[in-house]
Amino acid sequence: MADTAIKGKSVKETQLPLDQFGEPIKGVSLWLDAWRRLKKNRMALIGLSIVILYSIIALLAPVLPIHSYKHQVLDHQYLPPSFTKTAGQLLYERQEALFQQAAKDAGFEAMPAEYVQALEIFREQLATETQEFDGVAVKVHERRYYLGTDGLGRDLLSRIIYGSQVSIAIGLIGTLTAVMIGLIIGSLAGYIGGTFDYIAMRVVDVMYGLPYMLLVIIFMAIFGRNIINLFVCLALVSWLTVSRVVRGQMISLKNSEFVQAARVVGASPGRIIFRHLVPNTLGVVVIFATLQIPNFILLESFLSYLGLGVQAPMASWGSLVRDGVDAVSIYPWMLFFPALAMTIFLFSMNFLGDGLRDALDPQSKNVL
Amino acid sequence: MTKYVIRRFLGLLPTLFIIITISFFIIRVAPGGPFSREKALPKQILENIEKKYHLDEPLIVQYGRYLLDILRGDLGPSFRYKDHDVNYYILNALPDSMVLGLMSLCLALLLGISTGIVSATRQNSVLDYSSMAVAVIGISIPLFVVGPVLMYIFAIRLDLLPTSGWIMADGSWKTAIMPVATLTLPYFAYLARLSRASILETLRSDYVRTARAKGLSPSVIMFKHILKGALLPVVSYLGPAFANIVTGSIVVETIFRVPGLGIFFIQSAINRDYTLIMGTVIVYSVILLIMNFIVDIAYGFMDPRISYT
Amino acid sequence: MKKLVLLLFVLCLALPAFAVDFRIGNGAEPQSLDPHLVSGTVEHRIYMGLFEGLMTYDPRTANPIYGVAQSHTVSSDNLTWTFTLRPGIVWSDGTPITAQQVVDSWLRCLDPNTGAEYASLLTDVIKGAAEFNAGTGPRSGVAVRALDSRTFQFNTKVPAPYVLSMVCHYAFAVVPTHTIAKHGDRWTLPENIVSNGPFVLKEWKPQEVIIAEKNPRYWGARNVKLDRLIFYPSDSYATLYNMYIKGEIDWNTQPPPPELADAAKLRKDFLTEPELASYYYQFNQTKPPFDDVRVRKAFSMSINRKELTEKITRTGQIPAFSYVPEFAGYTPPKGIGENAEQAKKLMAEAGYPGGRGFPEVTILYNTSETHKKIAEYFQQKWEQTLGVDVVLNNQEWATYLDTRKVQQFDLCRAGWVADYQDPFNFLFMWLSDNFDFNDGRYNNPRYDQLIRQANSMQPGPERNKVFAQAETILIEQDHGIMPIYYYVSQNFIDTNKWGGWYPNLLNNHPYWAIYKK
Repeated sequence: MADTAIKGKSVKETQLPLDQFGEPIKGVSLWLDAWRRLKKNRMALIGLSIVILYSIIALLAPVLPIHSYKHQVLDHQYLPPSFTKTAGQLLYERQEALFQQAAKDAGFEAMPAEYVQALEIFREQLATETQEFDGVAVKVHERRYYLGTDGLGRDLLSRIIYGSQVSIAIGLIGTLTAVMIGLIIGSLAGYIGGTFDYIAMRVVDVMYGLPYMLLVIIFMAIFGRNIINLFVCLALVSWLTVSRVVRGQMISLKNSEFVQAARVVGASPGRIIFRHLVPNTLGVVVIFATLQIPNFILLESFLSYLGLGVQAPMASWGSLVRDGVDAVSIYPWMLFFPALAMTIFLFSMNFLGDGLRDALDPQSKNVL
Repeated sequence: MTKYVIRRFLGLLPTLFIIITISFFIIRVAPGGPFSREKALPKQILENIEKKYHLDEPLIVQYGRYLLDILRGDLGPSFRYKDHDVNYYILNALPDSMVLGLMSLCLALLLGISTGIVSATRQNSVLDYSSMAVAVIGISIPLFVVGPVLMYIFAIRLDLLPTSGWIMADGSWKTAIMPVATLTLPYFAYLARLSRASILETLRSDYVRTARAKGLSPSVIMFKHILKGALLPVVSYLGPAFANIVTGSIVVETIFRVPGLGIFFIQSAINRDYTLIMGTVIVYSVILLIMNFIVDIAYGFMDPRISYT
Repeated sequence: MKKLVLLLFVLCLALPAFAVDFRIGNGAEPQSLDPHLVSGTVEHRIYMGLFEGLMTYDPRTANPIYGVAQSHTVSSDNLTWTFTLRPGIVWSDGTPITAQQVVDSWLRCLDPNTGAEYASLLTDVIKGAAEFNAGTGPRSGVAVRALDSRTFQFNTKVPAPYVLSMVCHYAFAVVPTHTIAKHGDRWTLPENIVSNGPFVLKEWKPQEVIIAEKNPRYWGARNVKLDRLIFYPSDSYATLYNMYIKGEIDWNTQPPPPELADAAKLRKDFLTEPELASYYYQFNQTKPPFDDVRVRKAFSMSINRKELTEKITRTGQIPAFSYVPEFAGYTPPKGIGENAEQAKKLMAEAGYPGGRGFPEVTILYNTSETHKKIAEYFQQKWEQTLGVDVVLNNQEWATYLDTRKVQQFDLCRAGWVADYQDPFNFLFMWLSDNFDFNDGRYNNPRYDQLIRQANSMQPGPERNKVFAQAETILIEQDHGIMPIYYYVSQNFIDTNKWGGWYPNLLNNHPYWAIYKK
């Protein structure tokens, strides 16, 4: 049909039907459509970029110019965060304040001579003392701790970054696993119905009722305590809720018109489920997943609270928060910064999730 | 429909039975036992204790004995708390957990759904973003942080509330504020986001457009038409949420000294107190199964698209 | 007359306002109130309010003073002890306390059917007790008897000088056998219980509160100044700390959360006192590398205990170089000290110069913020000083015990609090046939011999010298365990408000001595 070719458009495009403006209506794939819509949602894009930023930082952690997350400098315990002052300056100020308080308690007007001298000696020591880090002698008191230090003199900033490796991995991988298992089982149960549904839901019921804590303890005891087993334990329970929700959606939707249409056309059940029904449930599932990620991170922190989370000296946001909460009245940065890091990440995940839901909702297709 | 209801209800009993059976055997796989001590008990004494609690019998016999006991309503003696039996602890602790849980859940439902409605109807407004922000914070921060921080601010710094205690335990009404607030937060957050998402989806559907076209007022549309459909995921969530919240949160109960059941879930596992573990499992499972059953039935009433045939 | 009645009426209403309540933040919910079925400090504190044995503790020194007994004599070979009970001493229900009840109480503790965990204190010391407890000997073979209604006598296996101190312990409690006969397992319920201590159980609401009221029938009731003891159970250090600083409890028995140590130390009502208790690591000597004494010594010499106690534990713990703390009459060996250079040399001698070729080793510890911090400190210290790889293995309590018992560790954290004031109570744990505590399987026949010898000697400096000899072998020669620090007891109580409460070596604080100033 070469003579009807329109200039500037491909042959294939020329064969498409035209809409009211005379433009060809391109059939779009679900995902491309979704991505186009997502791009327009500003908050979701901000969320996405923050999540990507976090992931990049987490991945690049070993090469970033930050202190070690596990190296303890006991002299630097409980230092407050500071962008401008070095550790040495902070220690000096702390000592000076102590001496001043002692002098005041003893009734002196100004600091007695021996205190002043002690301070001088201290200052000298702070300026020259070195420690070995990986075989290199470093003037240890010239280090800066932007977010402060914890009870063992470890840099909080680097612990948060390394902790993000653990937490993000747990959150994303765990959720992915749980969602996939839950989707498959839930959609099959909802669509097929009957005995299969009955049995599947009874299995879900049984698993809900089992004593989770003991299961985790047993699992860890038999298979050892490492990160992989932690993932497995967390995923063990979390797929249950996804499957119930998906099943619920399936049951609502399986008799709707578009499903009937697909059946009439002769689509196989598998195609119906995964090509037509699942995308319709994705909205709620995606929201569920983004709500599940914090759950995973929190579940891990709860396990740390009981001594079943990551092994020391590794940290996760949950364990950092656990370490910091007791000290909130005197060293608030130990709680504040890890909690802030965690909250920002989860914030972003949620806005991203909202955006994904809006983008993936097929009913808003062709609606701007 | 009635057939489904009956079938479902009868299905609860075997489910409970399977849960009890699996739990019974699986808890004994964990290393150690109720009587593991740093200084091991002398052999004779250990034998006597085991004989007293029938732990020397073959596992299947113990299991049978346990089932018979349950049928009589006897959950057995506690292996760790030697002066009382499991029934006593559960009957004492469950009401406290339930009151705390119900108060928190009602508050969460009220605040959550209304926030969800407001957010959904004013999508992408400042109100929407700010309430969703509060909700995200609510599910981002663990309970074991919220609790102590609240305690520090209100009980220590501002000296407005007592640190801990519980109204049902001879405390003043003030003791209920912080535990309820702490426990409500994550559920409120979850419900707010869930209902917002669900209402947004429903808002776009055909029957809502029809209702609008008919000229019905927004509030009528909302409460009579939208909510029934939109709240399906919420109802679905409520089943396990109710069971979880009503059987106690170990964190809130430990921090605020609420004498509830939550602490027993973890402590009994750590102590390998088999009977108490089973007791908590049974209580939790029964409540969970009943709630899920009610949710399933409610589903059928709420969404006319669902047919169980 | 009417005015007088009115005045009296008003006074009666006001009286409760004058009642002195002593509120105690105790710790977890007690396992039981039956003295023979318990084994923890939480239950011990409640026991001390409700019951009293033949002897009780002096509030200042924790040395034994007379309780139910009024006087005692001991035979010249130190093997026969005879106690005379106070005249007219009764239970809270008025029933007289008889010597036969003391006999029956001790036999109940030993009875294998009771399942008493601390029966070991009796079986270690009383003749015929171990056999009865193990089921191999008759009840009548236990050397306890009532000579008359007020005279109680028993024979010991060895001339144990610590008998008086031991008898204060709740394993030796005098229990109301008549009540137990009547109510069986339910005798400890508030409606059934009968006790002989300064207070009687009034209310017991699980996880919530335990209230005890003054016992008017206590022999020393006249001097008891408190009206009620109120115990609040809680597992959370942070909650108890907050309750205390807000004034909701009068005595907090639990330490502050580790991160708040600095804030606590600034308070004048935070009282610390050396305790007869030791924090240490066990070496697994059944396999390399810790089967080599040079490696054990190297690890021990390369840490800095002063730094650890000042910077990590921070509440005044005392660096330890021996296992037994020094106390009246006992001088422990000096230990091997700390010397990083020497440690490196030892490692080289053992075949691991600079840590090369040294296998990765694990530190096993049970869940606790403090144990974690200490383990992390050691991990870095050993890595820096010796060049070795150390991995941490944190397990919850029962799993930790299980792992320990089958020697699945290289280093294992452990702690021990003395039951009574004698070196034997520390050193018996390292006998090669002690499979309860000696999970590292330390084995030295000479050590065993010295310990058994010392335990059978008459009380006196000679005896303690032999113990010290044995400990020298344990620590300086073999270094079978790694001592780290001695505990300090940590209590919060305002001694400007409450008198009669004194910090002491055993951290025991009898309530009959406490009064409001």
